[in-house]
Amino acid sequence: MINRYLEKTWVQYLCLAAVTALLVYYFGWVFDFGYKFDWTVLFKKDPSYDMVLGDMLVTGLGLTISITLMSSAIALGLGILFGLGRLSQFKPVYYFSTCYVEFFRNTPLLVQLFFWYFALPMALPESVRSFLFDRNFEMISATVGLGIYTSSFMAEVIRAGIQSIPKGLLEASYSSGLTAFQTLTKIVLPLAFRAIIPPLGSEFLNNMKNSSLAMVVGVAELCWSSQQIESLTFKGFEATTAATVIYLSLSLTIAGILTLVNWKLQIVPVKNRKFGHKFAHMLFCPIEAPFVYISKMHRRFMRKRKENFNLTRAQAARKALTAKVMKVLSYVWKTAFVGSIGFLLIMALYGVSKFNFQVIWDNLGTMIWWKFPNGGPNEILWGLGGLSFSILMSVIAISVSFFIGLIVGIGRTSKNKLFLIPSTLYIELIRGNPLIMVIFWIYFFIPILTGQFMNVFWSATIALTVFTGAYLAEIVRSGIQNLPPGQFEAAVSTGLTYWQTMRKIILPQALKQMLPAIVGQFISIFKDTSLAFVIGVLELTFVAQGLNNRLMIYPFEIYTTIAFLYFICCYLMSLVARRLERKLSTDTFRLQM
Amino acid sequence: MKRILTLALAAALVMAFAATSFAGATYDKIMKDKVVRIGIMTDSIPGAFYNAKKEWVGFDVDIATEIAKRLGVKLDKVPVNNKTRIGFLQQGRIDMSVSNMTHKRSRDNSIDFSITYFFDGQKMLAPKGKFSSLKDFVGKKIAVMQGTTSELNVKKLLKDLGDAAPKVISYQKESECFQALQMGRVDAWSTDSTILLGYAAQVPGKYELVGEFFSNEPYGIGLPENDSKLRDAVNFALQDMWKDGTYANIYNKWYGPETKYYFPLTEKIEMWP
Repeated sequence: MINRYLEKTWVQYLCLAAVTALLVYYFGWVFDFGYKFDWTVLFKKDPSYDMVLGDMLVTGLGLTISITLMSSAIALGLGILFGLGRLSQFKPVYYFSTCYVEFFRNTPLLVQLFFWYFALPMALPESVRSFLFDRNFEMISATVGLGIYTSSFMAEVIRAGIQSIPKGLLEASYSSGLTAFQTLTKIVLPLAFRAIIPPLGSEFLNNMKNSSLAMVVGVAELCWSSQQIESLTFKGFEATTAATVIYLSLSLTIAGILTLVNWKLQIVPVKNRKFGHKFAHMLFCPIEAPFVYISKMHRRFMRKRKENFNLTRAQAARKALTAKVMKVLSYVWKTAFVGSIGFLLIMALYGVSKFNFQVIWDNLGTMIWWKFPNGGPNEILWGLGGLSFSILMSVIAISVSFFIGLIVGIGRTSKNKLFLIPSTLYIELIRGNPLIMVIFWIYFFIPILTGQFMNVFWSATIALTVFTGAYLAEIVRSGIQNLPPGQFEAAVSTGLTYWQTMRKIILPQALKQMLPAIVGQFISIFKDTSLAFVIGVLELTFVAQGLNNRLMIYPFEIYTTIAFLYFICCYLMSLVARRLERKLSTDTFRLQM
Repeated sequence: MKRILTLALAAALVMAFAATSFAGATYDKIMKDKVVRIGIMTDSIPGAFYNAKKEWVGFDVDIATEIAKRLGVKLDKVPVNNKTRIGFLQQGRIDMSVSNMTHKRSRDNSIDFSITYFFDGQKMLAPKGKFSSLKDFVGKKIAVMQGTTSELNVKKLLKDLGDAAPKVISYQKESECFQALQMGRVDAWSTDSTILLGYAAQVPGKYELVGEFFSNEPYGIGLPENDSKLRDAVNFALQDMWKDGTYANIYNKWYGPETKYYFPLTEKIEMWP
C-alpha cells in the first residue's frame, strides 16, 4: 500500500519537502547551537580593525580564480607533454615522464608546495633568486606548483585516452599515407580528447579546489581570507559558510562550462540537436572560428607543396638533405635531453649528499611512530603520531566510507526521487568543496550536533570519511551504470527483487570493475591526511612541522624525508592498483571449463 | 520506509538531548569533576611546545599547572592551535585557553578574557646591521603569521610611516616566517618580541631586533562567555601568583637573564586591592 504510493513522483517530492521543512524548523527554531550567530561581521565595518572584513573574501576570490586559470593552463600544457612522453619510443623520455608522473602523483600537494616555496630558492643561484623574489614569488610558486601537481594527473588521463584508441585506426591512417605527426594531430588527439573530456574536467575542478592550499605559502586566496576573518573576530562559522558558498558556486560554474564543452563535442546530427547543443555551439563559435580559419589557410598553403612521385633531381637532393638534417637534429635533441637529465640527476645527488643525515636518522623514529613518553588522558591510540597515524586515519576513512559510498552510489542510480535527490545533494555538496573546508565544517559541526567533544583525530577522520564517501559514491555509480542494462532486465525478469538483483548480480560485477579506482581513491585519501595538520592532528606533516619548528635550520632534510615517506607508501599502493587492474581486466580473463 | 522514519525521529531526539547538555556553568562543572581542561599550544617556543623528549613544557604550561593547583583541581592539558583554540572554548571542549591570545575588543564579543597575564609587544627581527630604525622598513617586505594581530599592526605601522602599499606576506607557522627571513624572501619578520627572541637565539649573532615596540599585545586567558565565577577564580589565581612570587619564578625560568629567551619584565599585572 505505502510502497505503491511511494512509487508516485509527487509523493516522493512531497516527502522530501516535508523532511526539509522539518529540518529547517528544527534547526531554525528548536535546536540550540550554543553559538551566537553574527552575520554582520561579513559586511559591517569592524571597529577594532577599521575595515569591512568581507572585502577580503572578494579579493580572495579574485586570487583563487587567477591561480586556478593560470595553473590550469600550465597543467594542461605539461599534461599533454608528459602524457605523450609516457608513450614515447625514445626510452629516456619515457622514463623521465614516468618518473615525473609517479613522483608528483604520489606525494601530497601540501608537501610539494612547501618544497617549491621554501626549499627550491636555496638551490638557485643568487641572481635567479633575486629575480624571482622581486616578483610575486608566492603566486609564482603556488601557481607553478599547483600546475605541476595537476599536470601529473592530466598526463595519466591523456595517456589512457590515447591508448584507448583502437589500433585499427592507427593502421588505417598510416596505410593511407599520413605521417606520424598528421596521425597524431588529425586522428589521435581529436578522438582522444573527446574521450577524456569528462575525466579531464574533473581534474580542472580538483585544480580549482586544490588552489585553497596556496594559503600555506602566504597567498591570500579565498580559504586564506575566510581563515583570516575567523582569526580576527573568532567568528568561524560565518566566515566558513561564506567561503563554502563561494566555492560551491565556483564548482558549479566550472561543472556548467564542462557540460557545455561536452555538448559541443558530442557528435549529433544537426537536426537532432537539442537546445543545449545549439547553445554550446553558439557559445564556442568565437573560440572556434580562428582555428577553423587557420586550418583552412594551412590547407591551402600546404596544397602547393604537394610533391609528385616522380621527383626531379633537385627535389630528390633537397629531400635527402632535409632527411639528413632532421636525423642530425634528432640526435642533437636526444643527446641534449639525456645530458640535461644527467645534469639534473647529478645536481640532485649533490644536493642530497650535503644533507645532514644524522638529523634525519635521529628523527626518523619520531616521524614514523611519534610516541609520548608518559600517557595522558588526551592521548588517543597509545599516544601514536606521525606516519603510522596517517596510515591509521586513511585505513579507518576508507573502510567506513566504502559503505557510505556503496549506499549513496546505489541511491544515486535509483529512480526514486526520495533516494536520488539526497544522494545527489550529498555528492555535489561535498565534491564542490575543497577537503580543507570539509575538515573545518566537521570540526565545527560534530560537537554542536552531538554534544560530544572528540579528539581532533576523530574529527579529521570523520571529515576524510565523509569526503571520500562522496568520491566513492561516484565510482560506484559509474561502475553500476557501466554494466549493460540487459543484466538488470534479465535479473528482474527472472523474478529477483531490486535488492536481490543489486546484491547478487549487479554489485559483484560492478565492484570488480571499480577496484582499481577504489585503490586510487585510497592513495589520494592517504595523501590528503596531510591536510589534517590545520586542526592540529599529530599526523606526519604536523609532526614534521613541529620538528622543523624545534630544529629550525634543517628544513630540507625534514621536507625531503616526509616527501619520501609519503611517496613510498603511495607508490606501493599504486603498484597494487596496477596489479589489480591487470588481474581484473576482462581482456586477459580466460574462461575455464 | 517506516524504519527510516523511526530512525530519523530517534536521531532528532538524540540531538535534542545533546543540545541541552551544553548548558550549565563551567565553574560548577570544574568543581564537581575536580578536573579543569586547559587548551595549550604545542608549537610555540618557549610558550608551550614538545621538547626533544616529547614532553610538553613551556611558560604557558607552567602557568596552566599553577592555575589548576590554585583552583584545587586536576589539570587536563588539551593540545590546541590558533585554528582550534576558540572553537574548543566555545563548544566546551576546554574550560579555558592559555595560548598566546592577545586580548582584543573584537574578540571579546565571542569569548571572555582574564586579566592580562603576560605583556608583550611587537618588534621587527632583521639581519644584523642592515636596519637601524623602524623608518628603514618602509617599502620592504615583512613576514607575519596568519591568524595573529601582528599582521594588521605591521600594515598600520608602515602606512603611518608613509608606505602607501605595505608588502606584508603572511605564513601559517612561526618556523615558516623564520625560513622566509633566512632565505631572503623577506627583509624582516614581525611578531611578538618573545617569539622573535626564541628564534634569534637559535643562530646567535646573525639576527637582531630593530626599533621600539610598536604595538601592545596583552595576553589574556581565554574563558567561556558569561561565567563570572570562573573569571573571578582565574583572575584571583593570577593575582595571588603574582603576590607570592610564583609568577616571577615561572617567568624567570623561561624568560629570565640566564635563558636563551631573555626578555625583561617591565610591567605589572593588574592588582585589585
